Amino acid sequence: MKANLLELQNITKTFGQLVAVDRVNFELQAGEIHAILGENGAGKSTLMNLIYGLYQPSGGSLHVSGESKVFASPRDAIANGIGMVHQHFMLIENLTVAENIALSLGQLDVESGRTWLEGKEEARREEVPPPHSSHLPGRQSFWFKKAEAVEITEALSQRFGLAVDARALVRTLSVGLKQRVEILKALAVDARMLILDEPTAVLSPQEVDGFFTILRKLQADGRAIIFISHKMKEVLNISDRITVLRRGKKVYVGKTGELTSRELAREMLGEEVAEVKRKESHATTDVVLQISGLTVQGSSGVSNPSHLAVADVSMETYRGEIVGIAGVDGNGQRELAEAIMGLRQLAAGKIEILGTAPRGTKEIRQRGVGYIPEDRQTMGVIASFSIAENLLLSVTRLVDVAKWGVIDGKTKQALSEHLVTEYDIRPPNAHMPAEALSGGNQQKVVLAREISPNPELLIAVNPTRGLDISAAHYVHQNLLAQRDRKKSVLLISTELDEVLQLSDRIYVMSRGKLIEATPHRDDITALGLLMTGENS
Amino acid sequence: MLDKDGKVEEKKKGGKELAGKKERGKDGKRSWASLLSTQPPIFQSAKLFDYLRWMAAPALILGSAFVTNGIIMLLCGYNPLEAYAAAIGGAFGTGRKFGETLVKSTPFLMTGLSVAIAFRCGIWNIGAEGQFLVGALGATWFGTKVAVLFPAQPWLAVPLCLGIAGFAGGIWGLLPAILKVTRGVNEVISTIMLNYVAIHLVSLMVDGGPLQEAAKRGPQSDRIAEWVFLPRLLPPHRIHLGIGIAVALAVVLTFILFRTTFGYQLRAVGESASAAEAAGISSVQNTLRVFFISGALAGLGGAIELTALARRLFLNFSPGYGYTAIAVALLAKLHPLVTVAAALLFGALTTGSYGMQREVGISDKVTLVMQATILLFVIGYSSVQFFRKRVS
Repeated sequence: MKANLLELQNITKTFGQLVAVDRVNFELQAGEIHAILGENGAGKSTLMNLIYGLYQPSGGSLHVSGESKVFASPRDAIANGIGMVHQHFMLIENLTVAENIALSLGQLDVESGRTWLEGKEEARREEVPPPHSSHLPGRQSFWFKKAEAVEITEALSQRFGLAVDARALVRTLSVGLKQRVEILKALAVDARMLILDEPTAVLSPQEVDGFFTILRKLQADGRAIIFISHKMKEVLNISDRITVLRRGKKVYVGKTGELTSRELAREMLGEEVAEVKRKESHATTDVVLQISGLTVQGSSGVSNPSHLAVADVSMETYRGEIVGIAGVDGNGQRELAEAIMGLRQLAAGKIEILGTAPRGTKEIRQRGVGYIPEDRQTMGVIASFSIAENLLLSVTRLVDVAKWGVIDGKTKQALSEHLVTEYDIRPPNAHMPAEALSGGNQQKVVLAREISPNPELLIAVNPTRGLDISAAHYVHQNLLAQRDRKKSVLLISTELDEVLQLSDRIYVMSRGKLIEATPHRDDITALGLLMTGENS
Repeated sequence: MLDKDGKVEEKKKGGKELAGKKERGKDGKRSWASLLSTQPPIFQSAKLFDYLRWMAAPALILGSAFVTNGIIMLLCGYNPLEAYAAAIGGAFGTGRKFGETLVKSTPFLMTGLSVAIAFRCGIWNIGAEGQFLVGALGATWFGTKVAVLFPAQPWLAVPLCLGIAGFAGGIWGLLPAILKVTRGVNEVISTIMLNYVAIHLVSLMVDGGPLQEAAKRGPQSDRIAEWVFLPRLLPPHRIHLGIGIAVALAVVLTFILFRTTFGYQLRAVGESASAAEAAGISSVQNTLRVFFISGALAGLGGAIELTALARRLFLNFSPGYGYTAIAVALLAKLHPLVTVAAALLFGALTTGSYGMQREVGISDKVTLVMQATILLFVIGYSSVQFFRKRVS
């Protein structure tokens, strides 16, 4: 029996009348990977924020290595060896990767990072590091040693196999690369307990394998990992134990393998999950979107040394089909989608929607194009706007609910109430600001807005990222319904399963190039190789 | 083309149940966040509690400022309670005094609205001062040179004068807008610089320039023609039509901001330009529009001040209204209707200082200290808000 590194007893967190976490007991042992499963709003994030000191519990107690602790802030949690990789990145966009890492390394104190890298941590791990141990706030150097920060970052990324350009500005990195930096940041402070909130969402199958190798390495090192994921396969693959939360309560804890994925899903949802039902293809010969020779300049990053985010891409979509574009994050998908939406300048090539080339995003939307952007935080919703207002965030919608430029209050109200119910946005209060919603519910707001006008062409970039199983299922049904209505859908996703399940035709995007991959659709390995650009 | 059927269907289905459910902030932090929100409860399902919560921040700012200022007065050897009583008496004591407070509030309101509308769109227009002066300049030109061509037609001359002044202010506002959208010039810098250009433009015009008075005695213009005077409502009181215009504009702007597609687009750009662009809302277009409107409001403010009160242009025509306006707008959380109250407060500080001077013998510089203290607390509060947003 291993000692409990971390133990929560009857931990409770209430927000007003809402009980987000209800008397949850949780144990984390040294050297285990403990997965936490649960739908959006099940209380996973709240529980993690309690452990990480972002929230203070309303009841119950928290013990680290048997000692009762109260964390007033994440600083206390970090001092007790707890690290966290958030779903929403906590990076300083205008600093380089190395500077961000250095920031987490005891506030620009690079010396301690160096010590750790040289393997002297053995001695330190003997006893429990006291708060304000050498790598934590307290020992600060006045000078920022940039070269050393770069060196440490490179050493870190090499050691953990998370390649990233230490000198690149964080804001120029893709979402996937930013997450790598987040993981490196947590690893850099030598956390003994690592909370990973949806860490694999942006990784390719190959990268996930590599990432799991890292996790196992960390595990063998005696570190404990709390792994939050919606992906059942991954959870079953990597974890030692699984805790399932449902509506704030712990409903199951047990060794991985005790329950099958179907049984686990039932624990999560409290009911059986339906499979996506897919009818035969209805593809017609009416072209909706035609792209020829499209080239888009990219912002600098690692994956594209040539700085061409999209390189000579030609493709088309027809009415009544879903075209899937699979690929690892940061291979030009975002730029492709933004170019189609008129948000990026074309370096070369042509984009035609329903036969003519529109000018500007407004005109594109007026042609009936819906857009689910990759980054909902900066492009999908406006945090301070209410749900009702966010549901209007599209020029065409705005015109729909207005008369003589005045927004009709009743139409707006009716529309938002209808969509909140229809898309099961929680909490069902259209006056709530979007920032008060969980990521999944924010995504539902975007989906409701973009899918409900029944667009001729829907550009969906990672539409189910951050959604739970039932919500993702709902999205999939909606995309298929669009197809069945003889509309066209362009699904750009890093989730291979999703692309395979929904698409009539499949492309793979790798380093800005597009490869038709429909013939390989039954061969995951071949697709994976295409995604890594192996045979291009 | 958007599907009409889909829309109709939604209308039919909509409006079911679940509307009334009152949702508290999802957690402690969030209700704190909604307390900081710049969205007033006025156009949501408003409850008295929501109003109070929304007003908590301004109340806190003012309370702190009054206490701090009281301490300063104590240190100077005055009794702050006596001083505040005198100030309140001076600002609101009699109908006449209250009227004067309204008169003093008007330029704060006009420039405050100008700043509020710009900041709402994420445009940091610090140029209300210059736009105010250029508006006054336009009104002076019209009042002294053009209006004399068609005598005694106030029904035509007054609106035309205000219109020209607003247009002049708007054009002055467009200059930094064009620099911003074409060359990426930061508007904070360009608008501040243009303030100096405007100040010196006024001095160029009235100090030896074409608009200097015919007698050439001092650096001021001739009095504008009588039929361009903005009517005073209750002579001999100085209460004038401009007060009504300013308040009406506050109401109109509130409606535009929260109830029209134009206001929606403007706020969307201000909150998140990238999200607005993705929605097909052009931030360039909105930047140009809002800069023009903002400049026009400030310019109109200058014209009102000129045609209703001073009736001639001179050096130092504005004692810094355009800068104080930033504090007014921020204190009002950039809400046009609340700006009326904030402007009234700043007007009352001015007239109140007369009362303090008369009755307690405190220098009118105390008003400036008070204004500065409020500004400091507004800024301090905004940074707390900014910080909390980052953390949460």
